[in-house]
Amino acid sequence: MRKIFRLFPRFRVGLFVPAAALVIALFSGAGCAVVPPASDPEAFAEFREVNDPAEPLNRAIFEFNRGLDTAFLKPVAKAYRDILPPFVQDRFKHALANLRSPIIFINDLLQGELDRAIATLVRFMINSTWGLLGLNDLATDMGMEGHDEDFGQTLAVWGAGEGPYLMLPLFGPSNPRDTIGLVVDYLINPFNLWAANTDRDFAVFARTGTRAVDMRATHMEALDDLEKSSLDFYASIRSLYRQRRLGEVSNGDPSANSPAPGLSQAPRQ
Amino acid sequence: MLSKRFLRPVFRTPVFVLAVALSLSKPAGATGLEEDAADFIRSLSQDAIESLTRKETAREARIGKFRDLFNKHFAVKSIGRFVLGRNWRKATKDERAEYLKLFEDLMVVSYVDRFKRYAGDNLEIAKTRAENETTVTVFSLLPRDAGKPVNILWRVGVLKKSGGVVMKILDVVVEGASMSQTLRSDFGSIIRQRDGKVSGLIEELRLKTAALKNPDKAETSKN
Repeated sequence: MRKIFRLFPRFRVGLFVPAAALVIALFSGAGCAVVPPASDPEAFAEFREVNDPAEPLNRAIFEFNRGLDTAFLKPVAKAYRDILPPFVQDRFKHALANLRSPIIFINDLLQGELDRAIATLVRFMINSTWGLLGLNDLATDMGMEGHDEDFGQTLAVWGAGEGPYLMLPLFGPSNPRDTIGLVVDYLINPFNLWAANTDRDFAVFARTGTRAVDMRATHMEALDDLEKSSLDFYASIRSLYRQRRLGEVSNGDPSANSPAPGLSQAPRQ
Repeated sequence: MLSKRFLRPVFRTPVFVLAVALSLSKPAGATGLEEDAADFIRSLSQDAIESLTRKETAREARIGKFRDLFNKHFAVKSIGRFVLGRNWRKATKDERAEYLKLFEDLMVVSYVDRFKRYAGDNLEIAKTRAENETTVTVFSLLPRDAGKPVNILWRVGVLKKSGGVVMKILDVVVEGASMSQTLRSDFGSIIRQRDGKVSGLIEELRLKTAALKNPDKAETSKN
């Protein structure tokens, strides 16, 4: 075990997140949703489709996260979006994306996507050198667009189901599969290993913080719109998270088979 | 799309440009129906930008214009029915009628303000795909000030009538999130909280649409 800690100095911290998730899972017994009776098969089917057995607890954590967001993240993201010129914001976006490249590369390989892995590697080499430490995304200009991957998606490709919906404190919407993915990505990320080995913990916090602000700013309008128009913001976010993860796992190739309205459903007039 | 990554540089060569120019009159692979669907989305987005993005138009007038566009080009009843899911069968005739009216209201008043931001940005049609004989997916991109453009998919339903072909939008999928599926989860959750009653959803919809119609009273996000 000591050897593992030496090899992965962040392992101690990394253990905290699954431990916390476990505690949540145990305590969620107290915050369980009411299971509909077997006499109502449609309601039971709906309960399984919603797949959120810890809904009351998840809702409480969601409100906690929203409070933090209103107090800290949203105002900072707003300032970032409104004060920094789009050119500077793009530099941040490119640099953050470039720093993610190693973890994307590893997950590309783990998913057996060799051509995507090579593309990620070539992009990383081009953008880190000629792109001036990733500040410029020259690879995209050359016709090599980037993509994102994470270990949660790798687990999905390997056949792991998502499991029940889970709202994590700070990290937001998730599920057991993506929570494990989050931890594994954190542990094997070369950037984090480098920072830990050279006593530069601040670098990890700075990067994570900047990424959170940038992502919040990117989704600001969409989230504001959704909050404004939805009747149950929590349920809308839950649906949105699942749909987006599904899209990401399938690498943005949407299935035509997903349920959608059809003209044949039109009520007869 | 992604496996073509290494072919992308080819797209920039003069030979390719020439080849495209020669074949522009007839895009390879796309059938007549797919082209029609792409044209339908293209002209709809132009219509929307022209009538909805003028700052000087009063909000009331914009709402009226958007309501016309929405009813003309979206399969409002089909979407509304899909969104209600299994609860549609439970609803009485009066409830269905009021629900559809409120659903239309909600869509119109919550989407109308979003167009203000898109002034000057033109929707770019990337590709089309026929899902079956009556549905075409139109893939499009909307540019943003910073960062990557937004991916928007339009599910277009094609209805063949004696007078020709009628096209209606069945669903809009923004960055992988379907409008109708998100609404279905939203409404379904409200109905569950209201002991499975559609009348509970109708009450909430009345409150929500009333608040959105008077943005001065409700919270509005400043952009």
